[in-house]
Formats: sequence, structure tokens, C-alpha cells
Amino acid sequence: MPRVVRTRVELEGRMTDELALVEGKDLPGWTGERTIVGTPTTRIDGAQRVTGRARYTQDITLPGMLHVRFVRSQHARARVVRVDDTRARELRGVRAVLHRSNLPKAPFRGEETIFREEARFVGEEVAAVCAESEETAAAAIRLVDVEYEVLPHVVDLEDAISEQAPRLDEKGNVSESGSHSRGDTERALRDADVVVDATYRTSTQLHNSLETHGAVAHWDGERLTVWESTQHVFGVREGLHLALGLPYSRIRVICEFMGGGFGSKGGAGKYTIAAALFARQLGAPVRCVYTREEENLAAGNRSATLQHIRVGWTGGRTGRISGLEHISYSNSGQGRWVADPTGPTNTLYKIADLSTKSYRVVTNAGSLSAFRAPGYVEGTFALESALDELAEQVRVDPLELRRRHATSIDPLMALRYTQKRLLDCYRIGAKEIGWSRRKRGGTPGSAEHRRRGMGMASQIWFGGGGPPAFATVHLNPDGTAVIRSGTQDIGTGTRTILAQICAEELGIGVTDVRVDIGDTDAPYGPISAGSLTLASVGPAVRQAAADAREQLLGAAAGVLEVGKRELRVEGGRIVGTSRQTTIEEIFDQLKNYTVIGRGSRFPNPSETALNTFGSHFVQLEVDVRTGEVFLEKIVAVHDIGRVVNPLTAASQVEGGIIQAIGFALTEQRVLDRATGRVLNADLEEYKVPTVRDVPPIVVRFVDVPDRRANNLGARGLGEPPIIPTAAAVANAIANATGARVRTTPMTPDRVMAAFAASRA
Amino acid sequence: MAVHVARDVDDATRAVAVDERAELIAGGTDLMVEINFGRRRPGALVAIDRVQELRGISRSGRVRVGAGVTYTQLLADDAGSAALREASRSVGSPQIRNAGTIGGNIATSSPAGDALPVLAALEATIVVRSVRGERRVPFAEWMTGPKRNGRARDEIIVAAEWESAGPKQTFMKVGTRNAMVIAVASLALVVDASRRRVGVALGSCGPTILRADRAQSFAAGVLDELGWERQAAPTETACAEFGALVASAARPIDDVRGTAAYRSHVLSVMAARALARVAVLG
Repeated sequence: MPRVVRTRVELEGRMTDELALVEGKDLPGWTGERTIVGTPTTRIDGAQRVTGRARYTQDITLPGMLHVRFVRSQHARARVVRVDDTRARELRGVRAVLHRSNLPKAPFRGEETIFREEARFVGEEVAAVCAESEETAAAAIRLVDVEYEVLPHVVDLEDAISEQAPRLDEKGNVSESGSHSRGDTERALRDADVVVDATYRTSTQLHNSLETHGAVAHWDGERLTVWESTQHVFGVREGLHLALGLPYSRIRVICEFMGGGFGSKGGAGKYTIAAALFARQLGAPVRCVYTREEENLAAGNRSATLQHIRVGWTGGRTGRISGLEHISYSNSGQGRWVADPTGPTNTLYKIADLSTKSYRVVTNAGSLSAFRAPGYVEGTFALESALDELAEQVRVDPLELRRRHATSIDPLMALRYTQKRLLDCYRIGAKEIGWSRRKRGGTPGSAEHRRRGMGMASQIWFGGGGPPAFATVHLNPDGTAVIRSGTQDIGTGTRTILAQICAEELGIGVTDVRVDIGDTDAPYGPISAGSLTLASVGPAVRQAAADAREQLLGAAAGVLEVGKRELRVEGGRIVGTSRQTTIEEIFDQLKNYTVIGRGSRFPNPSETALNTFGSHFVQLEVDVRTGEVFLEKIVAVHDIGRVVNPLTAASQVEGGIIQAIGFALTEQRVLDRATGRVLNADLEEYKVPTVRDVPPIVVRFVDVPDRRANNLGARGLGEPPIIPTAAAVANAIANATGARVRTTPMTPDRVMAAFAASRA
Repeated sequence: MAVHVARDVDDATRAVAVDERAELIAGGTDLMVEINFGRRRPGALVAIDRVQELRGISRSGRVRVGAGVTYTQLLADDAGSAALREASRSVGSPQIRNAGTIGGNIATSSPAGDALPVLAALEATIVVRSVRGERRVPFAEWMTGPKRNGRARDEIIVAAEWESAGPKQTFMKVGTRNAMVIAVASLALVVDASRRRVGVALGSCGPTILRADRAQSFAAGVLDELGWERQAAPTETACAEFGALVASAARPIDDVRGTAAYRSHVLSVMAARALARVAVLG
């Protein structure tokens, strides 16, 4: 019988108490060697993806499909006085135009409609045109005449903080969003022998998912079906339910394949609502997919930050940190929340006297959206840079400094971790990079004008997952199985690892498992964000597979007329009796009987902290005359509990590091302060790393099952590998050259400026 | 949009002569970006990518590189310029090098065009042809501003020509990443030992490709003392002085890719390194 349990759920660092439905009893953890789980397994949908057979949202084409393009504000802040769509509607092929004055009520993220009276950044949606072709829609948006009343704006974080800035919010542009304090930080810093006082800045990073945001909506008169590139099919369904007032049963959301989201595709967007409204109004399928430029104006970003850190030290080379203060400001654009950079500072080390504060700053720039370890990437850059600056001043090896402050309990909640093996990560990583060869002040590089250095940094993240998450496993008469769950594979390999878990538990081969996910007609699956998919859905799939196996063995026992406990499933066969029987043979006797196993995710253990840990080590060279940075090697070691698939796990780490290299060295949204325009909303001038920017990456895992976490012993990995890289790069540059770069991306001109500062 | 696929140069020149809306397309690595971003809507296209006459490289006496020669071809077939090879290698990605042509670089005339500082330093001649006849324009007179040049609408760039300058030459570039990158600053240095001539040209440091005349004279003086044909390194002081003179020729601005100050600085560094490098080549 299903029952309700109260559970504490974490998503990207935010805790909420929720009710969750569970069924039966949770399984104990696996013991002994596994044959499928833990084995490198190529993606079960790999061939589909690389041959172009995989259908992404952008590939969906329906008969009679119409196309939507948005009219976007050209002003950073302006009141929309009047929208005249006459000329646009007269263009042949234009079917409808929606804007403030004719839009049906469609509540969206706390606003009454998707088009606001005041446009608050360049690129904000003002109207939408629906036409018979994409080209016509693109031509028609230029014929929509919008009268604006231009208002004073501010786009830059530091400009917005200043007293002279236009006030964008009644309460001011700056508001406190979080704080933590323990001990007496002021006194500790006052009494410290050495204090590092430094300011760090990180730039706005754009997600640049290969597949842009988009949706295709189809209204058949009864039911709305929406294909969307999303990390949460159920979240999109909820957004449509609220905006359109349709009951859940009349909305179906599908995301079969997806080209990346990185946090920015957490629910319905304005494109979803617009596509659905037009589809209902015009009775035709409607497609609304962002261009790259729209993607980089309006699909969210990682906030730029300004962070001040003061960290003290007492007691010479055998001393300790005495006091740490971290104050952070984030450019949230028009976003209503802050990706808090002080999370790692609050939890990574044993520091008795600590004080952190985080502020949200509103500006007339495109809003933040969650971006792979939101806040933690920015905060770790500042924290781990500052600790290295301290280590350098007090002449303590940076790795030794971190070891000395290791904590076995979560210092924020004073709870024991289910498992923490960060010290193992340090040991493995140090050996792999050859940390013992690191010299204070760096070593000569491969050319006369180059210096070589090493640096490292740690990471803490969540990824423990939790309920609610459900799955069913359907065992077919031919011995193959189908997993059904409303989770989605956002490109991480979810399909493959769920198939492995099911195959392992059920006793069949991976290739005999089909994974039917990305559909709200399946049992509920949570958002694929916060590194929680595996740890949330995986245990439910395992339970469903175990339930199916028990039912199969019950059936087999009846058919074979033996005790059920004598039987087990191995390699797709029922074994335990004198002769082996295939699953097919059992079902032959039962006339197409299908076994359906059900599984649910049980709550996490109470009164424990559930986190992932890791550290990255970087070796690089710096051209001391041009400021160019050449990465030579990156070693990544993470403790994520059990590794279900070493191959897809390594892919996650490599991908995270590559995205982190962009954050560290090349990527920054450039805004024109005078107009608020984004000067590089494309992939020509916004520089993501190319393959030639990626050094050899060595991936290691501690790979010890976390028996307290869940029935798999596994935690998530999506976010951890993007967290510590930038700080490790900055620390390696400082080791090589003595110059401390405190701003990302660490472009050659910033490196040169840091040289100049270090000489002064 | 009408697309005329030209069979030969005469066919192409006629096609652009009769249709005033026609624009030329070769590799399309610049034009298609403009079209896709909605910044340009040609009324008609004349495709010259299949014109064999534009695809040859000849080295009998003067070097002549057809306008339709791709960067991939420049890397595979030696056009007798090490600097042009180095510049070609730094262009875009393999896909772009397969499609993009040297003629396209000359036609677009971006101050950041990778091949252009090399052509400037080699003192190349641009050969253009139309139904009205053929014209030869020294590179120094070719560019008139950012993405502006002396090509008439109905003219087709058919080739670039130059006197072979020997082995002492190099191209250097600093960008914000290692591939698919537009130069923050670039530099070509050609030391033509047999003609006792030094050519220095700068990319991404002004409205056009700039020459550094004082730096050229200075380097010639250094080589007069060292011996033009010898493989001898100039002093560090001489290289630094050369670098400073090169940087003083730049007219850089702050933009999305970098600051003016950094451009000047990195030019001086690249120039000093370039002189030290080419002096020992032989």
C-alpha cells in the first residue's frame, strides 16, 4: 500500500520539507561484485544520436505547422505604450499577432501575462507573431510597430550598486538574500596574524546549449501535446496548467532527446506559452524555437558576481585559519532569486569564526537562470583563490592548508555526512598530477618566456536526490523489459544508466532493456537538475525491477512447480532448478502475461548531510610576456559514492571541465552600458572552448558506495566537475608567475594586468 | 534568389556585369554569416567556387595564388610563403579552411583577415578582372577602410601575386582561444634577403592592415650589420626596439575582443619574437 512520508528535499542548495508517496519497503544496498552496474557501458542511444535518427524538439515537424517569432525590446528599460500590429497582420502568411492588449490572461512566473508593461532588458519579449513559415514570421516582427517610453536603465553590476544608479525596485537595487554567521568573525580577523583581503569578480556566462530553447505545441481540440527541449517535462506541464488553466489530464509534455540545458530549461518558457496559446487559438500545430541570438539574450545566464573575502591566519606555519568573511553581490538581472556564491564557504572547511552575506542586485540585463552548479562555480572561484593567497602568504602548501581544515561534519547544519571522502580525492589527485614536484614560485616552462605552475581547488555540491520519483518496469513475454518513468535524459546518459540498473536487478542484459522516458504520461519523475536524476530515479527503477523480478519468480515457481525461494534470474534465464528455463518459456505457459513492477524513491536518511566532494588539479604554462595561458593537464577526482557507469561518468566530468575552462579563460557576455545591448549574443564573439583549448583530462573516482545515501549507494555528478576548475587554474597561474588574477575569464589582458599589479 | 553557377572567369564577369544585384560567392564563410544574420540580402548570387582557373598556384618566377585557393590547399600545396602557411593554419576550423578562400579574405578586407598582413608584408599585387578588362592593384592601395576596398562591384578578384621572398618570414597571432578565433592582434614579418627588404604588417590593430615603416627601416639597419643572408640572432635590445617601433605604428581600439593597450603591448612582444625567429631562419 502506498503511504505518505514527510521528507526534506534539496534542490541546488535550497531545502524544502515535502510529502512524498512511497510503496512497500526500500531495498537494502547491493553487496558483492556487480556485473553490469560499475561496468563501462556505451550509450544505448548512442547510435541513434550520431546517425541523426534521434528526434530532438527542433526536429519535430507536423502537418500544417505554424511558426512563432518574438518582437523583442530594443531598449534596456522602456514602458510599452502601444503596440500596432496592423502592418504585420497585412503581410501574407501571417496568421496572428499576440501582445499586451490582445493577449488572453496567461499567468506566468508571478506575472499576469507573458508580455509585461515595462520591458526590462534588451531582448525582452514584447509581442509574438505566428505565421505560415519561419521566414514570414521573421519578416513580420519588423512590421510590428511598438511605441516605447524609454526609461533610465542600468545594466552593470557595480553601476547598479552605486547610489547614483536609477532605482529599478522600490526597495532599491540591492537586497540581502542570505547570510550565515558562526563564532565571532570580527574578533578573529582582528586578532589574526595575517589577513588576506581581496576582491574577486566573475563575468556573466551564457549556457549556450547546443539545442536552443523551444517548443512545438499541438492542440487537437481535447488535449494539448507539447514537445519541448526541457529538463522537466512535469514542470512544463505545470507551467502550461497554470498559464492556460487546463487540467493536468489534458496536457501531455514530451522530451525524447535533448541537446543540453545546463539548468536553463527547468520549466515552461514564454515560447512554450506562446506556442500553446497560438495552437489553441488557431487550431494548428505551432513551433517556437529560439535562434542563437535570442538564446543568448533571453534564455538566462550565470550571474556576474562581485565578491569580497577577508580571511585571517594565526600561528605561523603550523597555524590555522582564524576568521573568514565572504560578502557577495550577484547581478540577477530581472531574476527574483540569487544563485548564492557563499554556499561552499559555509560548508567546505572547518572554520570556527565565519560570516557570509549574499546580495541580489537587480539590473536591466537578461536574467539569471540556474547554470550548472549555480553560485557554487562563482563562489568556489573566490573562496579557493583566497585560500591559496593565504597559503602563499603564510608559506603553507595549499593542499596541506586544505587538509588541515577538513571537516567530517557539515558545519552549517552540524550533521554527519552520509559519506565524505574528500581526503581520498586529495591523495589520488596529488599523486596523479605529481603535486610533490610543485615548487613555490613555479618552475621554468617549455620556452624562455614561459613559466609552469600547478594549482588545485576543492568542491562541495549536493546531488543526493530524493523523493518523489517513480518508475515502472514492464517485463515482456520475450524476456525484454521496458522502463517507464517521467524523467528525461538531458544528454547525460540517464537512459543508459537506468537500463544498467534495471538489467542488473532483473538479471537480464542491458541491450534487452528499452527506456521510455521524457513523457508526462509515465509515472512522475523529478527535474533533471541539481545533479539529482540518478540518485532520485535510479533507486526507484531498481525497486521496480526488483518488484518485476519477484513477480516473475512467483510465476516461474508456479509454472515449474518449485518453491519460489529456490529460483533466481541470471542472464535472462530462470536458474535454481535442475534445468535452466528462459523467461520466454515461462511466459509461453501464461499466454502473453506481462509483469509490471513498480518502484518509488524512498526518503533520504534523516539527520545526515548528503553531499558530493571532489578536487581538481591543474598544470599549465603562462606566457609571461603576452599573458596567454596554456593548459597542460587537468586531473579530476570526485567522491560520488558508487559509479554506475564509469564511461558516462567520465563524460560528465570532461564536459563539466570544458565548460569550466570557458568560464575560467574565455567566456563572458559583453554588455554596452550606454544602451544595455549584448555585444556578443552569438558564437562568433562569445568564445566557448574549442577542442584545441582542451588539455588532456584525467578522471578518477573514489568509487566507494555510499551505503547510507540510497539503495544504489550513488550520488549525482552533473554539477561537481564544473565547480573547482577555474580556481585551480587561477591558483596554477599564481604558482607559475606570482600574479594573482582575481577576475574571470582570465583573459591575456587580465593576466598582464595581474603581472603589473604583482610587480607594483 | 537567383544563383548563377559560373563555369569560368569570363562567364562570372559577364554574370555580375549584367545583373546589378548580383554578389559573388566562393567559400561563403563570410557572406553566409551575413546572410544568416539577416544583415545582407543579395538579389542574386554568382557562385565562383567551381571555376578551375581560380584554383591554381604557380611558382614559375613570381608566385601566383588563384583567388579560389582554399586555406586547406595553401597548407597542402606550398605557395612559397611560410608566413602564409602559418596564417592559413590559424584560420577558423578545418571546415572553414576547407571552404574559405584567399580571394574571400581579400574581398572581405576585414582588418582581422588572417592572410592579409602576410599579403601586405609580401607587397603582393591583387589581380582583378571585369568585362572591362584586368587591373593590378598593389596591396598597399587595396584596403580603404574596415571591410572596404578598391574593388568595383563588377570586378572579380582572380589572384594575388608576389615576388618570392625566401624563407625568412613568419606570421603571429594572439586570440582569445586556440581555434575558431578572430585575431586580437596579428603580425606578419617578411625579410626578403635577396632584395634587402623588410616587410612588417599588422592585423586587427587599425581600420586597415597597417605597415610599420619605421620598424622596417630599423630592422633593415639591424640586418645590414648582422648580414642579411646569415642566420644570426639580433640582440635582445634590438628586438625590443623593433617591437616598440612596431607597436607605435598601431592604431588600436578597445572592442569586444580586447583593449587597445593590450593590443599595443602584445604587438611589441610578437614583433620582437618575430624578428628573433626569422633572423635565424635560412
